[in-house]
Amino acid sequence: MSIHHPTPDACIACTACVVNCPVARATPNYLGPRLVGPAYERFRLLGLGEEASLHYCSNCKNCDISCPHGVQVSAINMTARAEYCLAHKPALRDWVLGHGELLARLLRPLPAGLKNFGMLNPLTRRALDRIGISARAPMPAFAPERFRDRLAKTYQGMQPRKVALFPGCFIDIYDPGTGFDLVWALNRAGYEVIIPKEFSCCGLPMIANGFRKDAEKNAKRNLRALQRMRAEGIPVISSCPSCVLMHNQDVPEFFPELVRDGRPQVLDAQAFLLDCVERGELSLTPENEVAERIIYHAPCHLRAQGGGLPGYELLRLLPGLRVDNADAGCCGISGSYGFKKEKYDVAMTVGAPLFDKVRRSGADLSCSECGTCRIQLVHGANRPSLHPVSLLRRVLEKRA
Amino acid sequence: MSRTTDILVVGSGMAGLAAAIVARSQGKRVALLSRGCGSLNIGSGCVDVLGYIDGRAVAGNPLDALDALPPRHPYRLVGREGVETALGLLREVCARRDAPLNAAATGNRRVPTILGTLKPTWLTLPSFQAERLETAETVLVAGIRGLKDSHPALVTAQLRRYPHPARIRWHETHLENPMPGAHRNLSPLDIARLVETAEGAAWLISGLHKALRATPADLVLLPPVCGLCGTTWKGLAAAVPVPLVEMAALPPGVGGLRLYTALLEELRSLGVDMIENARAVAAECDGGSCRALVAETACGSRRFEARAFVMATGGFMGGGFQSSPGEAREAVFGLPVLQADGAPLPQRPEDWSDKDIFGSHAFASAGVMVNADMQPLRADGAPALNNVFFAGRSVGGYDFAAEKSGNGVAVATAWRAALSACAQC
Repeated sequence: MSIHHPTPDACIACTACVVNCPVARATPNYLGPRLVGPAYERFRLLGLGEEASLHYCSNCKNCDISCPHGVQVSAINMTARAEYCLAHKPALRDWVLGHGELLARLLRPLPAGLKNFGMLNPLTRRALDRIGISARAPMPAFAPERFRDRLAKTYQGMQPRKVALFPGCFIDIYDPGTGFDLVWALNRAGYEVIIPKEFSCCGLPMIANGFRKDAEKNAKRNLRALQRMRAEGIPVISSCPSCVLMHNQDVPEFFPELVRDGRPQVLDAQAFLLDCVERGELSLTPENEVAERIIYHAPCHLRAQGGGLPGYELLRLLPGLRVDNADAGCCGISGSYGFKKEKYDVAMTVGAPLFDKVRRSGADLSCSECGTCRIQLVHGANRPSLHPVSLLRRVLEKRA
Repeated sequence: MSRTTDILVVGSGMAGLAAAIVARSQGKRVALLSRGCGSLNIGSGCVDVLGYIDGRAVAGNPLDALDALPPRHPYRLVGREGVETALGLLREVCARRDAPLNAAATGNRRVPTILGTLKPTWLTLPSFQAERLETAETVLVAGIRGLKDSHPALVTAQLRRYPHPARIRWHETHLENPMPGAHRNLSPLDIARLVETAEGAAWLISGLHKALRATPADLVLLPPVCGLCGTTWKGLAAAVPVPLVEMAALPPGVGGLRLYTALLEELRSLGVDMIENARAVAAECDGGSCRALVAETACGSRRFEARAFVMATGGFMGGGFQSSPGEAREAVFGLPVLQADGAPLPQRPEDWSDKDIFGSHAFASAGVMVNADMQPLRADGAPALNNVFFAGRSVGGYDFAAEKSGNGVAVATAWRAALSACAQC
């Protein structure tokens, strides 16, 4: 496999990424984004081996966000990881964490109760802990039925418009409720929600765990559907910030040969809803008085998209809600990173300022677009956590 | 995205943050668009106002020296009163956010650097009160083992060359490495963060006590490791029997992060919308006014509409200017980047710089020509655009490196540009 290397040349070693890297703040065992990324890339390109602390990079992308010179530091790190993993077979644990969707598909015949008993009981947790998945980390439970299967059986009413949804593994496997909250809002705005059958995991967990080839396979499948949607003029959205970033930024960066016919476009679902409001398709007139105090957490992969915080904006437009932006940095989990036994403490240290902010906020619940951020928020701050679209539904839906 | 804001500020350095705070304080809806986090958060955090004019050190209050600057200098365009008001607002915000800035009574502070030079500056955090050296007779310069660029012997050897603190007896010491198992060389920021914890503070306090017992001194000079918030500094200063003075360090300089954090907290509490990781690349203009900026992002091009725009995009380093052989242009509107006297940059790029590294470089003071409202000007002197205003390094007519005026000009021009933008909407 030929691997395209992002250029490190714009780096002037200014240290902005070092200041803003949550992992470097949490542990002195990580050399830091500047040195592991652009600086070490020069040695890599000369074939001089790998920096020992590369595995600490969580791919949260705060280096990219903070870089004043446009260096794709996280892409350099993930490319280095891909090459390292070609030469050194990754551990079983990393395969498991990188292939959640495939695992879920294999386990599909089993009822959720059995799956959850099988996966979440203390004995299994101990066995998983032995292969490197921390027994202390909060493990999400399988939903009784995959979101896309349930949606296929759901009557959405006669809608004048269509929108394609890339559900993302989290909603699809663990959290269909949030998916249906989004479908509810889109139906209300006059959109029928479809999920093209090719849509599979965006590949980000594979990239983060060193399985570049598998990510490429998934990118190909997804691109087929994205191109078809584009040809049919159907917009594609996702409510998961990491999936959106993967499709729009990482796939073209890592697999440029796959996107010669145009870059994939997957829109942020919350920005799409805001546009619906602006076009007059979606009214935000409240049906319920939900006088709740909410603390919002912006996922790093949303901040990296360069479109501001549309989910937060949407919440602030909802009458009755009092929403504050925690603005306390990364939650630490970074997808599968915080589930790793040797990274669990790093992830909790990274998230500590955020947990503290949430606990002190006096808010009843926290809110964030990213599924694993929500798991980490519940785990670290001991408060329930919802997706913005779920709050939207709570406020707008007429209750019987 | 097409939702319109009142004022779009572009850039997250000192000028961008200051402009957003001023505009929002006037009750306008403000969004701050940034690509990268600017350079304020990696610098020393010292607010230089004016250290030198034509290579001569400014004596006394630098605000009294502004009239000696050329008429097109940004300070002359803003005017002394404006500069004072702008700096006063910055001080108010920073004091409220636990990062108080103050000036010495007599003139510029000469803050020692970790390389042993003295840097003239005007407003600083209390940990950089270098005038305390004037009354000290014995000074202990403390390094820290494991900290990179920490060489007390270099500092004392260099400082002995300066006539002013010549009577001082200099001593050196090394504090123990507080993170001996670390996989990397420590930066002052690593240690400042450690000092924010109880154990870290205890390490620093006991280390300084021990060093002072071995080598009694009237004052300790140390790298900028005294925590990140003002409260931590106060606790440390009270726990050590002699005054502590921090030296300005190489990036990450810690002091800048203290200010940056304070200004970001203010922006948050005021409710400024933050749009990160978006690089403004083009403008949609209609006659003499701008409707929207187009930004490149991870998810393709996006439009950002506003009624007025403050451009604090920086110069050649910050990405605010683009250059090609024989020409430099401002990156978003394509405005000409001109020399301090309004002349174009020389045809040959090698003539943009002076042979003497400390000489007068054409590139250093080149920038966008503006009027007293910070509107960019056409060649005939009329405003090129009525709702676009420039601030900070992108403004031409000053050389922040030679003058030591970077943050001062940034704050002054940001204040003026923000008020002018507010008057437009």
